[in-house]
Amino acid sequence: MLHWIQYIRGYVTIRVWGYSTERLLNLCGNHDILVWDIADHGDYTTMNISVKGFFALKPLLKKTGTRASILKKYGLPFFVSKMSRRKIFVLGLIGCMTFWILTSGYIWNIKIEGNYVLTEDVLMDYLEEQGVHVSMKKNRLNIEELEEHLREDYDVITWTSVQLEGTTLIISIKENEMPEYDQGGQQKNEKGMDLIATRAGTVSYIITRSGVPQVALGDQVEKGDVLISGAVPVYNEDTTVRKYQFVQSDADIILRYHESVSVKRDILYEEKQYTGRQKQTPLLGLRDKEWNFMLGRIPYDAYDVSEEKKQVQLLDHLYLPLFYGNRTVQEYEIIKKKHTEEEMKQIMQEEWSKIKSTLEEKGVQITEKNVTIKKNEKNWVLNARMQLEESAVKLVSTRTEPIEETTIEETSDQEPTAE
Amino acid sequence: MLGAAIVTITGNGEAFIENYKGILEYNTESIVLQGKNCKICFEGKQLSIDYYTNEDMKISGRIDAVRYV
Repeated sequence: MLHWIQYIRGYVTIRVWGYSTERLLNLCGNHDILVWDIADHGDYTTMNISVKGFFALKPLLKKTGTRASILKKYGLPFFVSKMSRRKIFVLGLIGCMTFWILTSGYIWNIKIEGNYVLTEDVLMDYLEEQGVHVSMKKNRLNIEELEEHLREDYDVITWTSVQLEGTTLIISIKENEMPEYDQGGQQKNEKGMDLIATRAGTVSYIITRSGVPQVALGDQVEKGDVLISGAVPVYNEDTTVRKYQFVQSDADIILRYHESVSVKRDILYEEKQYTGRQKQTPLLGLRDKEWNFMLGRIPYDAYDVSEEKKQVQLLDHLYLPLFYGNRTVQEYEIIKKKHTEEEMKQIMQEEWSKIKSTLEEKGVQITEKNVTIKKNEKNWVLNARMQLEESAVKLVSTRTEPIEETTIEETSDQEPTAE
Repeated sequence: MLGAAIVTITGNGEAFIENYKGILEYNTESIVLQGKNCKICFEGKQLSIDYYTNEDMKISGRIDAVRYV
């Protein structure tokens, strides 16, 4: 406490020498001038004295025949007078502090943790819609509300925690590992569900678990045809339909169909070859704006531009909307080349593998295939005729209307076109 | 006793003196103070005065002896 008072009032360390230092000390005591840290150095004595005391010292020095000189100045009054001589520095200091205080009131980074199914992009877009974005004011953020909105709008999210750490917004979510199966809800659908064909083909396999099959093995069906009807008819004694019991159709159905694929690849191709000539210029960015310090025009005809940017990070979680980096312009030449026969074979092989894997991804099986490669002068053509099998069915609400009168017969449009 | 000097010594490193008239001599090896009836002489090594006012003062250093002359 005493040190603080001394610092605020200011004090000086003085060197005193001359006839009688002891007498000076006595006079200081009598005049209520506080002196402290008195140390004898043989020829002279050093002591600390308040600024006020130092000015009152002059007549006492004269009286005692001693002399004094200031060794060092301490305290706020000296600091202020020193700073007033460095106006730019003080301005900078104040500016810096204001900048810090102002910028720390904003969010400069958003981190999302615990998301597996929902990608970061999806969540970021969602946050943007909710008005949560980088460089927004912290006090405009309602954490509770955001947590609630996240849980409400995404069924997958079972738990949310939003917290602010420094200027970083950390959003932790937990996703439901077992997504709810929609089928349970549909079973309660009173209208019933039909299974329809999503493409034309021949029925090559059919096992019905629930519903009325409208097609038989070997039947030809068109896209949109009802394969299994969700309306189970209940007959009168005279074999007319009395009413329908609606169920959700369930069956394993495989449709067989033919498909042809043709892929053409040129023997001639163009290749980018970097000449090795490149230009690198520094880049500065603020929020969405960017400045590039490129002098003159890019002297290349064909070039690639690549950018490397880094965000200015002050602390672990304190990011500024400032970016810096490099822009590199690389020149290239286009060189026309010819694939060798080996290469072409390789390419065709790859094309065929691609076709196969895309079909497999869709759950389509190839039961028969006939692949030919035609070598032309300029290009090679791959022709593939395939027999495919696929469970190409879809659940839709049944089109059969419930009947009130018992005499109405089943509508004919429910019948599949059997050929 | 009215006006008599009060000397409080802590160990051999610190001395706290009240009610003295003035300082007569000061160097690193001895400090002589004027009391009401007698002089008080502190002897030692590296003696320094922590603070000095009209009422009290504090001496620190290695005090070897205190003599009343």
